[in-house]
Amino acid sequence: MADERADVEPAGRNVAGEAPATEPKAVTDDTTVHDDVELERTIGLVGGLAIGIGTMIGAGIFVFPGLAAANAGLAATLSFAIGGVIALLVALPTSELATAMPRSGGGYYFISRGMGTAYGAIVGLGLWLGLMFASAFYLVGLGHYASAVFAELGVALPVSPVIGIGLLFGAGLTALSIGGTENTASLQNAVVGILLVVLTAFLSYGVLDAVGVFGGESVPETFFARGYFPVLTTAALVFTSYLGFAQVATVAGEIKRPGRNLPLAMVGSVVVVTVFYVVTIFVATSAFGAERLGQFGETAMVEVAREFLGVPGAIAILGAGLLATFSSANASILSASRAVYALSRDALLPRKASEVNLRYGTPHVALLSAGGPILVLVATGQVELLAEVASFLHLIMYGLMCVALIVLRRRDPPWYAPSYRVPGYPVVPAAGALASFGLIAFMQPASIGVGIVVMAGSYLWYRYYAGDVDLKGDI
Amino acid sequence: MTDRPSVLVPIRVLEGESVPEGVPELLADAHVVLLGYHVIPEQTATGQAQMQFEERANERLDDYASMFEEVGATVERRLVFTHDGQKTIDRTIAEHDCMAVLVPNATRSVEDVLVAVRGTVGIDRLARVVAGVFAETDVSVTLYHVAETDESDGDVETLLEGLDERLEELGVEPSAIETRVERDRDALDAIVEAADEFDAVVMGETDPSLTTFVFGMPADQVADRFLGPVLVVQREPASSATEE
Repeated sequence: MADERADVEPAGRNVAGEAPATEPKAVTDDTTVHDDVELERTIGLVGGLAIGIGTMIGAGIFVFPGLAAANAGLAATLSFAIGGVIALLVALPTSELATAMPRSGGGYYFISRGMGTAYGAIVGLGLWLGLMFASAFYLVGLGHYASAVFAELGVALPVSPVIGIGLLFGAGLTALSIGGTENTASLQNAVVGILLVVLTAFLSYGVLDAVGVFGGESVPETFFARGYFPVLTTAALVFTSYLGFAQVATVAGEIKRPGRNLPLAMVGSVVVVTVFYVVTIFVATSAFGAERLGQFGETAMVEVAREFLGVPGAIAILGAGLLATFSSANASILSASRAVYALSRDALLPRKASEVNLRYGTPHVALLSAGGPILVLVATGQVELLAEVASFLHLIMYGLMCVALIVLRRRDPPWYAPSYRVPGYPVVPAAGALASFGLIAFMQPASIGVGIVVMAGSYLWYRYYAGDVDLKGDI
Repeated sequence: MTDRPSVLVPIRVLEGESVPEGVPELLADAHVVLLGYHVIPEQTATGQAQMQFEERANERLDDYASMFEEVGATVERRLVFTHDGQKTIDRTIAEHDCMAVLVPNATRSVEDVLVAVRGTVGIDRLARVVAGVFAETDVSVTLYHVAETDESDGDVETLLEGLDERLEELGVEPSAIETRVERDRDALDAIVEAADEFDAVVMGETDPSLTTFVFGMPADQVADRFLGPVLVVQREPASSATEE
């Protein structure tokens, strides 16, 4: 049993006079041990994989294929592959950090302990807001799928119901998270299992068809139909489909046998979704050609399924799309609430923010402070902007995590004892940092602008509210 | 004096569950592992509940611990915040090597106890729990067995006499031990019915099987239907811990 000491002593007080909560005495395979309290770890490897895959798969398969094909043509396949490689370059260092510091808050925790409070605050508040942008993006995607259901049923609506449905589900999910005390983890596992089965069946058929087994004709196309540059801008856009693995680190404090399960869950989920994404884009573009696929927009996959399998196929993919976007949105709202907890534990947000509701045992303040702004963001209906801002804020965190790893390795403080060590140090974390920051350059100026405003706001909040708080580990 | 058997007393410490009347006296001769636990939904980080409830939970647990200590039990206490109460209970049983788990229901002062004997497996642990908890008291112990159809009277006699001897070796007064055998009945119904006349029940944990998966553990079913405290004797821990 690992008995690692998390030997970090936070100090200082915020404006409200609250000090950061004390760090645990020890971390074992089954618990986090404080003086006379233990916190049970209850999420196994399957649960961890379900969080990672469940968060990611909604976006990449059910929202982006049409948008990506419109931007980059057939080379969108390459855009997804690039995104997968970057995600993997970050997932490996994140795994090392997570096994050294298996605590709630994930990237925020690693960076605040490795690089100090200012970086931590920017990343932590950025993560919280980034997850809101991500949830809003998933909810708009859900709205598109639900609208497609109406279209399929032949119900003509006077106005597009996309945003209305997104808002409805956003409010519903928040209420459900506050009031629902049912065991949702097994449900999430089942949803992810069903999705993987449906997608595997559908994609296998698609691949066989594309290579001509069923006598279908596929359109030969120029791979880089729109040149090389769109490949990278599209990679920046679709990177939102790779944000989920870091959510595994957000619940690192609740993962059983963290030394083994955290790296497996993070790296495993990135590898699984990358394969699914690349195959999906390949199948989708070979069914219609990038040009027509792009015209179908957010629900392009439904048309692809209709092409292959007729109406039943379209219905199956519609259902899967609803499930996937719903579970992604749900997972992101819960992660956002975990981020609020991690920040308020460290006195960067008021302690009140992570208060637990006596009736339901749920953190209503944290959930509402995620759910409210999400609704505002959904109302904008800007799928691409929401996706890019979410990616921007996550990429900043990813890049800084890689830097934090290099800093910790160089200083080598005695409390830093990861049970998993990243292969290829220092090349892998350095490449991860460069790729993360580099990808930002290919985003739309508007997304970069919003992202920078959020970061500046986070820094100012830290200076005002918690300038005296010191969270940095002794290095 | 026999070894004090360690008995787990799990209490949902923040949900108004407390140590019921009579339970501290019942376990006065035992080593009590007092587990206060609080189950929270998955939306909530365990640490979040800890920040808010630790103090209150600890105060209550202190009170409960002193209730046991006052009557002479030795007490170890644990406080756990968890998403999965069963996992916490199972882990605590393994870590403290608990011989038995108490399903805490209220009781008047215990004068007689029903010991449900099922098979030869685990007889020694059953004997050690019964002797450890009751040998130094005036409680009368009734060994109760529901015979299977293919079990001869001789088999039953050997079984119960073996246990009887073992209990006497461990210091239980021979005059305090009675035996009772029934046949051709559903074991569970028979135990619940017989238990009605007794103040407490001691029974063994059953191996998990499809039936227990569907209907729950017999011990849990007895505990639900019998209103007094039930001591569930745990299986010998597997030599090598199985891991997920």
